[in-house]
Amino acid sequence: MKRQVPLVLCFLFGVGIILTRFSPHPYSQFFYEEVNSWVLIITPFALVLATVTLIRAHVTRIRRRTEYWQYSFIVFAGIITMVVIGVPYGPQHFVFEWLFNNIQVPMDATMFSLLAFFIASAAYRAFRARSFEATLLLVTAIIVMLGNVPVGDLIWSETSSVKQWILNNPNLSARRGIILGVSLGVISQSIRIILGIERSYLGGGD
Amino acid sequence: MEIFGIWLAAFLTLSIYSFLYRDNPFYRFAEYLFIGISVGYYIVIYIHQGFIPFAWEPFWAAVKPFWPGIPREAGWIGLIKLIPIALGLLFFGGLSPRHTWLIRYPSAVLVGFGSGISIPLMLQTFIFEQTRGTVEPFAAINAGTLSPWGIIEAVLMLIGVACTLTYFFFSVEHRGPVKWLSKVGIAFLMIGFGAAFGNTVMGRVALLIQRVDFLLNDWIGMIIGWLGTIF
Repeated sequence: MKRQVPLVLCFLFGVGIILTRFSPHPYSQFFYEEVNSWVLIITPFALVLATVTLIRAHVTRIRRRTEYWQYSFIVFAGIITMVVIGVPYGPQHFVFEWLFNNIQVPMDATMFSLLAFFIASAAYRAFRARSFEATLLLVTAIIVMLGNVPVGDLIWSETSSVKQWILNNPNLSARRGIILGVSLGVISQSIRIILGIERSYLGGGD
Repeated sequence: MEIFGIWLAAFLTLSIYSFLYRDNPFYRFAEYLFIGISVGYYIVIYIHQGFIPFAWEPFWAAVKPFWPGIPREAGWIGLIKLIPIALGLLFFGGLSPRHTWLIRYPSAVLVGFGSGISIPLMLQTFIFEQTRGTVEPFAAINAGTLSPWGIIEAVLMLIGVACTLTYFFFSVEHRGPVKWLSKVGIAFLMIGFGAAFGNTVMGRVALLIQRVDFLLNDWIGMIIGWLGTIF
């Protein structure tokens, strides 16, 4: 009951959806659209659970007085502020938009830009041309970086053309190889899930 | 309000950059605030763009015909929407350790749907289309419409794809010709990773330039403008 029914459900929905993709019959399309709407209905409930789990984790931090537990109040303040304004008045409310534009957007951009500094230190370690493969990575990265900025064409007028050729040819062939490999992996994993061979999504326990 | 917004954004930007020196209370404040604001933002977006249109409205449409005083327009067929709503509610079983297993039911539907949809999607979008893109130039070679440089590019593409796949093919031992093919594959992969790295660095640097531009022009520019009006 606890494991068999979910396995049967997974099999039925998986096989059903595959069949709808190969049949243009109106019943088949109705089934596909109905199940698609079911997925859209079920998914938001998962977010509620995720939010509750996050809140519980921070409540536990506060209760146990773990390191930096005081900052958990800031998490709650952020959540409550956005929810109190956004839920009743909607995301188009001017205060909600002000908070989004002046807190979330700048912090999001700054957090990602912070990575530029760490990438620089990672590049120092990665770009030491100690082997043929590392040299290829180094040369390609330098050409792509220079080809993206005007100074690259000032150094050599063909830099951006060479960058584009690299992106369209050897880079694309490597990406195609990866995409084909990943796709074959996804298909085999999906078949394993539908047939009940792969059961990790059921979690532990009985 | 706009001036306060610029000061707040500048304070938070500098608080995050202070991490470059070392971990400190300003960075931690900004980090936790970022988590809270982001979670709050996505809760609001999911409620208004996910929960209300896809869960609440179908639920209301399903039960409305049975509400006293309201004519039964939709009939019984609308009640089918109560099944996914009931399945979604089973996610709350995760809040009680004894009922965590209930999550398996909605998870099974989502995983089954995802697996079922991904098989034809992957076949059509990636395997067929990417293979077609790789071998299609050879039709042009056969027709005699491809330039010599185009022929070199088409052959290079085919060699790159085949060798990259060989590198990921672990069913045979990488010895002899297979080893050399996989070595060529590694070379193509390194070019791909180098290009990805270069593009990522440039993307992050563009964000850094944008934040520095904000601090210099919007924030310090505003302060200088102020000082100019005072003195």
